[in-house]
Amino acid sequence: MRAYELMKETFFRRTYIWMVHVIWLVLYGVFWWLFLPEAPEFGRFLFIWAGFFLPLALSAGIFGDDIASGRICVIVTRPFWTGELYIYRLLGLSVQAAVHLLLAGAVVLILHAVMRKGRVDDLGVWLLATWLLFNTCAALSTSLSIVVGRAFNSLLLLVVIVTGYFLVGLLSMYLRDQASTSALASFIRYPWPPFELLYKFAAGEWGQYAPTVGKYSVNKSIACVVHSLMLMLVYSIIGIVLLGRRQFSRVRD
Amino acid sequence: MRDKINARSMTAVAGLLLEAWALYVVGASPHRWRPSLIVEDETAAHILYDAMIRALHDARRLSYTSACSNPDDRTSTYRIWLKKPGSFHVEQTNDASTKSTTLLDDGNGLWVHWVGDRPTLLIDTEKSHADARSDVYVKKASLAAGGSIRNEAAMLGTALVRLILDPSIFYGSVNPFAPSIDGIRSRGTNPVRGEVCDVIEVSFMRARRTWYIWLSRQDHLPRRFKEIVRGADTRVTVEEWSNVTVNAEIPPKLLTWSPPEGWRPWDPPRLEDSLLQSGQEAPDFTLRSARRGKLSLSDYHGRVVWLYLWDTGSPQCRAEIPGFQQLCREYGDKGPVFLGFNCSDDKRIARVFLRENGVTFPSVLDSSEAATRLIHTGYGNKAGILPLNYIMDPQGRVVDGWFGQEQDPDRVLAALKKAGLELAQ
Repeated sequence: MRAYELMKETFFRRTYIWMVHVIWLVLYGVFWWLFLPEAPEFGRFLFIWAGFFLPLALSAGIFGDDIASGRICVIVTRPFWTGELYIYRLLGLSVQAAVHLLLAGAVVLILHAVMRKGRVDDLGVWLLATWLLFNTCAALSTSLSIVVGRAFNSLLLLVVIVTGYFLVGLLSMYLRDQASTSALASFIRYPWPPFELLYKFAAGEWGQYAPTVGKYSVNKSIACVVHSLMLMLVYSIIGIVLLGRRQFSRVRD
Repeated sequence: MRDKINARSMTAVAGLLLEAWALYVVGASPHRWRPSLIVEDETAAHILYDAMIRALHDARRLSYTSACSNPDDRTSTYRIWLKKPGSFHVEQTNDASTKSTTLLDDGNGLWVHWVGDRPTLLIDTEKSHADARSDVYVKKASLAAGGSIRNEAAMLGTALVRLILDPSIFYGSVNPFAPSIDGIRSRGTNPVRGEVCDVIEVSFMRARRTWYIWLSRQDHLPRRFKEIVRGADTRVTVEEWSNVTVNAEIPPKLLTWSPPEGWRPWDPPRLEDSLLQSGQEAPDFTLRSARRGKLSLSDYHGRVVWLYLWDTGSPQCRAEIPGFQQLCREYGDKGPVFLGFNCSDDKRIARVFLRENGVTFPSVLDSSEAATRLIHTGYGNKAGILPLNYIMDPQGRVVDGWFGQEQDPDRVLAALKKAGLELAQ
């Protein structure tokens, strides 16, 4: 019951959240309608919008709001482990994303059936990759929300990730053969949310350009999934530790 | 309490191991060299490969569209019409470009021409491009007698991605890598655009190069190739065949061409022209040696040097290196210093190759950008063709340089003599 209440709270904590879901779903439909894409084009769109922007929108101030208002002091005095609070909130986001992606798949399948255009062959893989990306981004944003006030966790994450990728992209372009660039690329590839790895997994690049026959390389695909789940776990552990160690005062931030 | 700590530690260790495995798998391969990639021969798979070659040889006419791509999202498309005994038409275009190159052999000669201004080719110098930029064509001897359509398309075309299978095999040419096949094995079936294909894996030169071929069950011709070349970097190319027709009529106008009025013939520069010429000083270098440590060209001043640029991906280099070692042993200090230079191999692969062939002569083994640039610009190997030979006199000046395809012992002996070494043939 407690778990259900805490998870439900992630949806009802702000009124704009349901609007975000609706707007995002409309966007998917409009994108499919206007561009009549094949699954890979739609997959890329879904991957960024639902995998990156959606967790930022849904997790904005997920702990920051409660900390700023002082409500967190009431919550953490209840007789349960503070880690549970973190886990159920993250789980709430994850469940929302799963339902959201199922609805997105339904929207696309309906449009595909009505318009009889485009292909939806790999849609399932794209939905899975998007959900995995959502989870890592949501975990990072939720952990950040414990130390960054109000809804600045999402904004900070957006700025850092966009700037980071832009800089690495720029460096790779101009210093592509330097050893330091490849080290920098590895730094951004592995400890950060696995945009590149999951994208390659969903787009079938591991199979297409690896020593395998089919489109998907089973080993690499499993490794991608494991790595993204591990990242989510690490981000979550950091968040739980931060939440457990932070002394919340009744004075508003 | 202790049980709890133990359980936590075990979980943490298991998690770390799992993550280490995941990073190993996503991070390392396909760059990792694995002897397991060397294929054992399977008779059934070999029969499929032979059937493909036979289908190519037996067809009287063949046309197909080949889209060659690589992970950089670059695609070159070739529309190919082949007719025996020796006519063909190949049109080559790149993604996001309106420029195209046409190679047309009417049986009497090979015509090469371009749409619009001629792009800068691999063999071009600044002057040659400025002198013959537009309304030009190249006329060469027909390839029917022998020659490679793939290589001509690479030299005179503007393809970003080269063909994997040389269309010249249709005329009976031998796949240049065929003598170096390790084995062929079956990889089951896999559909290509709805057509069920048998998939075979062919590894060459101890898996330095691997082909996956999707073969149609109807005509035994390929529908897709995937080539993996494992050098210092792993290069992957995918070639997709579509619109395959066998023995269908080819419109005669596709197989004839005459230059429009006002067009002039252009004699393209030879690849050898870009090499260092006799009397020029060979650029010095200090690079990593195969035996670890550094190696400089200037270390050998005072002796005649035979610089041999090689890599393990060239069947000719693989065949020649043991011969060099034998010469080295026979002549000792009385012969030239054989100096190998390899800047395109994975170090582990190259070291294993040298060890297996008992090579004792020194060799550079350095795939850094500096080494690659030195060969490309300093030693004039713009096309990256291997092997490449240079003979230098004791003062470090070039006496002669030639690409490996040219195997003329008299030329070698003359160059050595000019450098100051008299050797018996």
